[in-house]
This record gives sequence, structure tokens and C-alpha cells, in this order.
Amino acid sequence: MRTHLHSKGTQFTVAVMAALALFATDAYAVIDGLTGSTFTLSAKDGYVLGGDGLSIYTWGFADDTGPMQYPGPTLIVNQGALVTVSLKNYLPEPVSIVFPGQEGVTATGGVAGQLTQEAPADNGATTVEYQFQASEPGTYHYHSGTHMDLQVEMGLVGAIIVRPTEFPIDQWAYNHTDSAYDHEYLFLLTEMDYDVHLMAEFGLWDQIDTTTFHPVYWFINGRNFPDTTLAADTPWLPNQPYNCLPRMHPGERLLLRIIGGGRDLHPFHPHGNNTTVIAKDARLLQSPLGTGADLAYSDYTITSLPGQTVDAIFEWTGAQLGWDVYGHAPGDPMEPFEYAPDHGKPFPVILPGQQELTFGGGYSGSPFLGAAGDLPPGEGGLNVYGGFMYPWHSHAENEIINNDIFIGGMLSLLIIEPHGTPIP
Amino acid sequence: MKRIRPYHLLSLLMCFGVAVVPVSADIFSQCPPDTDGMDTDGDGDAGNDHVCLHVTASDGFVNMADGRLMYMFGFHDVTGLPDADVMADGMLGAEFPAPTIEVSEGQKLYLSLSNVGMMVRPDLFDAHTIHYHGFPEASAIFDGVPGPSVSINMGSSITYFYNNVEPGTYMWHCHFEVTEHMQMGMLGNLVVRPIQNNLPNLTDLNGFTHQTGYTYAYNDGDGSTYYDVDYPIQLHSFDPVFHDASFTVQPLPFANMKDTYSMLNGRGYPDTVNTAELLNTADDEGYEARYSQKVHSLIEATEGDKILLRVSSLSTTLFYTVTTTLGVPMKVIGRGARLLRSASGQDLSFETNALNIGGGEGLDVIIDTTDVGPGTYFLYTTNLNYLSNDTEDFGGMMTEIVIAAAPLAVTDDQPPVRLRRVDTTKRIRGGKPLR
Repeated sequence: MRTHLHSKGTQFTVAVMAALALFATDAYAVIDGLTGSTFTLSAKDGYVLGGDGLSIYTWGFADDTGPMQYPGPTLIVNQGALVTVSLKNYLPEPVSIVFPGQEGVTATGGVAGQLTQEAPADNGATTVEYQFQASEPGTYHYHSGTHMDLQVEMGLVGAIIVRPTEFPIDQWAYNHTDSAYDHEYLFLLTEMDYDVHLMAEFGLWDQIDTTTFHPVYWFINGRNFPDTTLAADTPWLPNQPYNCLPRMHPGERLLLRIIGGGRDLHPFHPHGNNTTVIAKDARLLQSPLGTGADLAYSDYTITSLPGQTVDAIFEWTGAQLGWDVYGHAPGDPMEPFEYAPDHGKPFPVILPGQQELTFGGGYSGSPFLGAAGDLPPGEGGLNVYGGFMYPWHSHAENEIINNDIFIGGMLSLLIIEPHGTPIP
Repeated sequence: MKRIRPYHLLSLLMCFGVAVVPVSADIFSQCPPDTDGMDTDGDGDAGNDHVCLHVTASDGFVNMADGRLMYMFGFHDVTGLPDADVMADGMLGAEFPAPTIEVSEGQKLYLSLSNVGMMVRPDLFDAHTIHYHGFPEASAIFDGVPGPSVSINMGSSITYFYNNVEPGTYMWHCHFEVTEHMQMGMLGNLVVRPIQNNLPNLTDLNGFTHQTGYTYAYNDGDGSTYYDVDYPIQLHSFDPVFHDASFTVQPLPFANMKDTYSMLNGRGYPDTVNTAELLNTADDEGYEARYSQKVHSLIEATEGDKILLRVSSLSTTLFYTVTTTLGVPMKVIGRGARLLRSASGQDLSFETNALNIGGGEGLDVIIDTTDVGPGTYFLYTTNLNYLSNDTEDFGGMMTEIVIAAAPLAVTDDQPPVRLRRVDTTKRIRGGKPLR
């Protein structure tokens, strides 16, 4: 049996679902992290959970006396602030921190290391203090500056966001309106070679060979899919507090802050539309005589290089699809940012009958935004507002697995929610 | 490759009462007539803007350039075939790469996908989808991602709809169990030609005079993306261990995926320069031999031509860098299906000798052959270890660029002479190249 689609008859269901969802605890904040200008990071060990449930012995930076974190706390500071990061070390070998892209970093205390001052393995007795002035806004990261081939693999990496002086009067990433956004999300991309972590757990230090690098877990903000889409601070992931579930309404601007935090390149593919790359390595793509991101470019897949940061703007309205994405009848009122020439245009094809289809959990039962349709028992249910879901993932498809198990890894979901849906 | 007998598996499934094909399913391709009265593609005809294609998804076989037969999943073009004949033609019809889709800006594409099942693996019940990679302002239903939408079951059809408004170089692939289905070969080129091609003769484009028949990569407004010949060049790579595990019904090695066949448009050198369709050797395994490699990568031009390379990658695992021996730089004029020009109009194109490209990335590159003499040149990966067909050296990700001497006299009102050494009727058997 084949069914023709109708635009009517689902509004009530959606309204009920939306009303219910309003009461749900919504912990999907924007970019979580520590704000201020003075931080204490403790290098500790602990365990993270892979997306397949495997416990992985990991080193990470903790917020002072807090639990080990993977990645380390996201440090959110203001442009011009004198940032002080104090490091204590509870790991079995010396640790330090470097701050790529920050000018005039000073380090005091501890023991002189190859790149910077190090905190010796003394169970937190010594404090090394790093200071720098956050002179330029943008997306940065920090990581261990000691025995990096092992320590960054083990998890000693974190993100830094420098807010521009215009913030928060203007919600901009840089001091120009080209970087304006309605929602911002972090994509700290890392990977792990499980064998290294296993040998570290067993103390087999002299058997670890980081040149035979063979990652089998790929992370966004320290989690594998599907854990990326869980709430932040989920209690059963005590060492992985950050999530990655970008959400927006049509017509809004979503800022992606992408950080290559590991060893590999990743072709990051945000489904749904091209993104506009506005900045790299915390500098607007701006010509010498230009203003704003006048050298910004559009692309459908963003190459993330190790150590590089990329800021990109994603927008979506569903324009020019050739059919009304809301399923309106011609006389219905317009939605905000709706593409007027397609208003009331019918759905272009006949969809197959239910028994001919395999349904995804994120399918609302309707091809229309903000609508719901009939689904077989047990199908759907992961998309309460009838939004459009899009995977945002590494297009090196071997990286969207958890060890030998498909699907997982470096993948999250964007949800374009109908207007009226609450998004923190 | 170990031979398995598929009918044993089939009988096993029948014993357990497993229905291989849904009861009410049918093949159903959709092609509504263009009745909107508008000429959206600018060719002067208001009634021809609908383009209808029909592909099947199935398993099949393909020969690597060293002759090795590889089990694969793929798409196969059945456009125009009566729906009643699609199952029979589609089974074992997998092609690598998938048929190249070429449409024009303003055309509405009705792309029907029929899932005709897995002849060799009747234990599989895989659904399939089509992901139009890079399609702007995509809807979830036609994005082809199983989790947020629907996938088509065996024995049934779904029609995807795409209103093509952004010209450029795209890709298409299956997104169902995507790591597996992409590694198994469900990948192809997709090109949207700009409406600027249809301008009236002698239209002035900011000093550049358009003539009927001129072609461009984008709606550049100044002729800067004019080209004489264009070639979609898609980078692919296969892991033979993965394919053999699939063929022999073994657990799939996701974590250990390691591609050792590096290819252009589904072939390793020297098969890349063979302009014939290649017949696979599936009959060695007891299956029907099919023409499963229909896209070559031989790049031919005449001295002075501008060559547009539509370079994309659907490698499941690797970044590759490619270069040429032409001695002139490649000008990157587009990426991600957009003209490399900023919103404020600045020219962001650049010249390079090395194109680095990861999975899901696409670049438009123009090579001006004015200063290139006639001869045979090469396009190859500078990741030199991938100039191999698995353990066979001197192959892999490489093809030839053949520049023919310019004709002695060409006047403006005469179409340029093209030298073609292609015999499109010639078909040879895969794994035994004639060269």
C-alpha cells in the first residue's frame, strides 16, 4: 500500500509532544567550561567509557580537586584578560602545558623541561604557573608539552575559547559581525589507540610504541557516538562531562568551533548545508585591507588538521527545495524564515508504504519540519519536536565506529528544530 | 577467493521461514511530467525540466587492476527499463563506481532507488539509501541518512527528489550502514552544470563574450571558469580483507580497515586509461559476468584547451594528494560545490601542484594547456606507496592526460576539432587489459 502525504492532522500530536518535552530536564547547554581568568588544572588518571561501553584507562586534566576529565576543562576567558593556569601533577611522570597560539606565555615554578616548565611526578606537591594575556579572540586548545606522543594520546588536551571584547553585548566569536551567531558548539576532535591505554593501565611503559599508532576510538569533546548526543554531565560518564548535540531553528546562525586535538586529519562533514569557514587558528579570514571575514569560503566538508582550529558558520532555512518543507496548504500562514516561493507547494513524490521501509529512530513519521506522522509500533521517538536531524561526522567513515562496532565514533547529530522549540 | 554456494544459505533461510522479499513490495519508479510552465533550466523549453533516473542497489563483483575479483555492493543504472524488468536486471548489477549523475541547474531530479537484494548474501537484509553529498539546504527525508529518515527495503523502491539550484561538483553514495556500504563500493560522481551554459549567444559577461556551446564550472559572471573538456575524477580505495570477509560471511574488520587498492573512478592504473567498459570475471565464481566498471579516467584534450577536473574523494579511510606531470599548475577555482569567491567578490582561487583531498571533499580544478606540448602526461598520487594495486607495484591511483596537437587553423565560427581515440563499442574483460 502506498500513502499520499497530507499536511494536516499531525499538529495536535506535535503540540502534545512539545508540551511534554518542555518539562523534561534539558542539560544541553551551549559550550560548557570554566569561565574566569584563574584556573587550577590537575593532571590525573581515571577511566573514560568508549561508545561500546569499554573502560579505557586515560590521563586528563581535572578542574583542581575535581575528577579527571577527558578532554580537560574548556577554559573560557575574555580577550585582554591575564590568564593564569596553575598545574599540579598526580601522574607517574612529569607533565607540563603548552598553549598553541597564545603570545608571551610565561611559566614559573617546577622543573625546567624541554618546551616549558614541568610539574614533576610528586603527587601534586609542586605547582607550575603559566600566564599569558589572551590578546586575540578565537578558538584555541592546550595540551601537554611533555612526552607529548604519549601524554596527548593518553588524554591531556583541552579547549580554550577567548571571547572578543564585543562579547556579550554582541554574540560574536570575533570583533566583527561576520562572526555573529545564535548558537555555538565545540567539536574537539581526538582519537585513541586502545593498545597504548591498555599497556599504560598495566604499567608496561617500556612496551608502549606510539609509532605503531592504530586508533580505534574517535571522539568529539571526549565522547564517542552515541554518547555525544547524551546530556552534558551525564552521571554515568563522570569523566566525560561534555556532550555535542548542536540544535538550531531555521534562519539562525550556528557557530562550529572545530579543534584538531589529536594526531590525525579528519574530513568533517556537517550534513544539511554547506558551512562558511570564517576563521582558522583564531584569526578571521580577513584580507590585509579588508574588514571582517572577507576571505571566508563555503564548503561541504571541512578538513581538520592536527593542532589547527577552524570556526565556521552553518545556516539553514530549507530554501529552494521545490516543495513546502512545512507541508503547508497554500493558504496557511508563513513560518519565520520560510522560503516564500515554495509556500504551499506539494510534496513531490509518493513515499513507499510502511512495510517497505526501515525507519530511523530520529524520523518523526513525516517528511515535514515540525510535523509527525504515523509510525509502526516501536519506531521513532528520538525526535520529540519533529525536527530535522543531520549527522555531523568524520567522512573518513572508518572513524565512525567504536572499536570494531558500527556505528559510533566521531559523529554527532544536528537537529534543526521547528520555531518555538526551546533551545538553551 | 573462496567460493561459496549461495543457494545453501538461501535454503537455510527458507527452512527458518524467513521471507526474503516483503509480501506487498514492488518496484515503482516515479517520473511526474513537467507541467509547471516554467523553463527553470534556461534551455528554452518549459516542458523538459524534470530529469528521471532509476538505479538499483545490489551486490556484485568487480575486478581490481591486478585481476583480483572483489565482491562488492553497488548501484546500477536501470533508467528507462520497465519496472517489471528491474529486479532481473538489477541483481548482481553492482557497478564501481556508481553511474555518474549529471544534471543542469534548474533541473528537478527524480531519482528512484530500487533495492533488488543481495544475490550472493541472502543472509543479509540490508536496506539502502541515497545521500546526495553536498546538496544545499537538504531536507532530512531526501538526505538518505537512515537514523533521521527512512531506508528502502529489499524488493521495494523509493524516489528521491532534488531541485538542483547550486551548480558544482558533488558526490552520491549510500548512507545505510555507511562505513560498510561505502567501503563495499556504493559511491559515485555527481555533477550539476551551471545555468550560465545556456546564455544566449554573444552575451557579454563583464568583457568575456559567451558563445553558444561554451561551458563553465560555475555561474562566474566573467568567464573565469570556462573550460573545453571536463572530467569527474573520484578517488576511491578498497580493503580486500574487508571485501573478502563480506564475501565469505565473516565478521567485518572495521577497526582494522586498511585500504590497499587506491583507485580513480573505481579502477587502478592501467585500467584507468582503458576507455572500454570492463566485464568482470564473476563467472569464475559461478555467477553471471557483468559489465561492472563503466567509468574510465583517461583525460583527453587538445593543446590550448582548458581542462576542468572535478576531483572528489569517497575514500573510506585515507587522505590523498594528487599531482600531474604537465609542468603547469592546477588552478583551484571551486571547492565544496561553490565558486572560490568570497561573499564580497574577492577571487579566492589559487594555483597549486598538489591537491590534498579527504573523504567527502571536492575540488574544481582548471588546467590551462596553452603552454603544454602534445603528448602523454600523468595524474598520480604523491602518496607514492599507493601507486600500487595491492602488492602489485606500478599501478594504483594514476591515470594519463593525453594532449593532442592543436589543429592548424581554427576560426571563431568553427567548433574546435576534438581528437578522440575512443571506441565506445569496445568492451573488454576485466583483469585482462588489452594494453
